[in-house]
Amino acid sequence: MSNVIEVKNLTKSYKEIKALNDLSFEVTEGEILGLLGPNGSGKSTTINCILSLLKYDEGSITVFGKDMKPDSYDIKAKLGVVFQDVAVFDELTVYENIDYFCGLYIKDKATRKKYVEEAIDLVSLSEFKKFYPKKLSGGLLRRLNIACGIAHKPKLIFLDEPTVAVDPQSRNSILEGIMKLRDMGATIVYTTHYMEEVEMICDRVIIIDKGHVLASGTTDELKRLAKIDEKIIVEANSFDSKYIEEIKSFKAVHSADYKERVLTVSYKEGADNLVKIIEYLKKNHIKYSRVYSERPTLNDVFLELTGKELRD
Amino acid sequence: MFVHNFKYSLKALFRNKTLIFWTLMFPIILGTFFKMAFSNVTSSEAFKAINFAVVEDDNFKNDEVFVTVIKELSDEDGDNRIFDTTYVENEDEAKELLVDGKIDGYLVMPDKKDDTPGVTFINNGINQTIIKNVVEEIALNEKIGNEIGETIVKDEMAKGNFNIDIDGIYEKVMEKMSDETNLLDKSANKLDYSMIEFYTLIAMTCIYGGMLSIASINNSLANISQKGKRVSVAPTRKLVTVLSSLLASYVIQLVGLALLFVYTIFALNIDYGDNIAKVILLGAVGSLAGLAMGLFVGTVFKAGENAKTGILIAITMFFCNFAGMFGITMKYITDTKMPWLTKINPVGLITDGLYALYYYNTTDRFSADIINLIILTLVLTAVSFFSIRRRRYDSI
Ligand SMILES: Nc1ncnc2c1ncn2[C@@H]1O[C@H](COP(=O)(O)OP(=O)(O)OP(=O)(O)O)[C@@H](O)[C@H]1O
Ligand SMILES: [Mg+2]
Repeated sequence: MSNVIEVKNLTKSYKEIKALNDLSFEVTEGEILGLLGPNGSGKSTTINCILSLLKYDEGSITVFGKDMKPDSYDIKAKLGVVFQDVAVFDELTVYENIDYFCGLYIKDKATRKKYVEEAIDLVSLSEFKKFYPKKLSGGLLRRLNIACGIAHKPKLIFLDEPTVAVDPQSRNSILEGIMKLRDMGATIVYTTHYMEEVEMICDRVIIIDKGHVLASGTTDELKRLAKIDEKIIVEANSFDSKYIEEIKSFKAVHSADYKERVLTVSYKEGADNLVKIIEYLKKNHIKYSRVYSERPTLNDVFLELTGKELRD
Repeated sequence: MFVHNFKYSLKALFRNKTLIFWTLMFPIILGTFFKMAFSNVTSSEAFKAINFAVVEDDNFKNDEVFVTVIKELSDEDGDNRIFDTTYVENEDEAKELLVDGKIDGYLVMPDKKDDTPGVTFINNGINQTIIKNVVEEIALNEKIGNEIGETIVKDEMAKGNFNIDIDGIYEKVMEKMSDETNLLDKSANKLDYSMIEFYTLIAMTCIYGGMLSIASINNSLANISQKGKRVSVAPTRKLVTVLSSLLASYVIQLVGLALLFVYTIFALNIDYGDNIAKVILLGAVGSLAGLAMGLFVGTVFKAGENAKTGILIAITMFFCNFAGMFGITMKYITDTKMPWLTKINPVGLITDGLYALYYYNTTDRFSADIINLIILTLVLTAVSFFSIRRRRYDSI
């Protein structure tokens, strides 16, 4: 598989702030690459640099093996972009908006009509074809935004947090749509700070913070970085600190934290941990409302790597 | 691509209620208000002759054209009465009359024939403006007259008539003058100064069209709008998108202007003179200037679309004021005291062009206005394209 995008040592400063700092990564053909990072980590800046919308200080960017420039129309013809902010015409209907943006790529009317209809189906907006964007709810608007960016069947698609404000049900249908696009042969760069989405759809993930790559790999590879294997969550209205200290000394326990009525116990490896905790709670007559076990998430990886939470 | 973008731009602009209100409806509403306001004025106080004095020295007596025309315009029984003229011996007498408020202004003819006649008044009001306009008018007509006179003299000489009959030439000159100029039949009852207000209305509409180009350009540039970002990553040349959307806004501008012309001509009975082709040309060039103004405001100012529209409205109203929309005196003051402002004021230039087309049969003044408008358009467009040309931004 060849590399569709190669970003090397990309550095970009805005007036006051260094947004990208020696950022390098590749995107391989046919994959969904997740760019995961907290607010302000430089995800959108990276995309805008790749698209040649932003000037950058140092580094190089190639797309489809060629230098990306503002007048690389042959490359641009194969791109589809869904920007973070909704970009549609208030004066055009759902159908017209998609047709307009699709028409910037596809000349043939019959093909365009077909593509527009397919895009509408993909984001399930068929009932709203004649609606003006002002009449759409936030989530429907997001879906229109996506359709406008991908209707022309691009080979390489950038999706910058496309599911913000979308309800879980539509989010799932969007994510499925995105996987469908990949299965039809598109390469996808997907930015988000929802790790659940990343875990669900991304073939490979790059975690960035402060404009720099912290780690990359498949979700499983990354999770191994977290050094924890299992988490036990205990929801209890109060928890004496002497018990916490005692739990910390259990075998294989990595850490134990009581915050906002939730005790989180992380284990380096997991076997019978849940049973042991429940027994301990019973023995000490500690009242709790719920106790359950969790697999580590990318958030834990992020926590491990940076000492802070992925989402504030 | 050009056609695709043009079609959708046209659609989007036509459906933008705010834009359509300002560019198509507002001028018509304002025009209707003007008409209501002015018809009250004209019906309640019919035109009264202006109290005027002429210093009847040798300079004046020797200027036959002025003597004749002022006599004609002061004739109580004639149709062309503008002035109630007092003839005085010297300037001191005239000054006294002026200070006492007996007259609105007086005329002193210059020593040299080519110098402009001196008009003096204390206040600036409509009457004063009329005095000034009429005197300018006579001077201009006289100049044309002289030129015609010269050619006739040459013709006569060529025919071998060395014995020239001065009276005959004068008659011919006067005859030709009344054929070629409008002064005599456009004076008095027809000298309707509210016309200027409608001319500024046309001019305002041309420049308000800039709102359409603000909207168009907003949709095409990545550093201005989200839609612009999307358009910028498409494989379309920027020049193509920009020009096709500007063409769309120009089309709507012209539609708006055409509606306003039709409305003012047929419903409000506004007279734009006989040279409709030139009036249309002026409207088209004026709209282009409006387009360029919008382009300039749209690209040079860093603000939201509504803020930019606000800026354009403010600038236009500022220009309208100096062009005489809220009182013709302002136009006169600007023309005399701040001629540079007149030259860069698109509203003023369009107004002046319409005025020139109506009152003069020569096209000098009209042409100068058109040329200034074109220069202004080119300068604004050039400055805007400097900003439009950029393709990669420091920050978006
Ligand atoms: N136009 C701009 N001018 C100045 N600084 C900017 C600009 N855009 C972004 N930044 C800064 O650059 C950094 C990276 O921003 P960017 O938008 O790329 O982050 P992001 O990862 O997309 O964040 P989010 O998840 O909130 O979308 C941030 O610190 C941000 O404040
Ligand atoms: Mg972002």
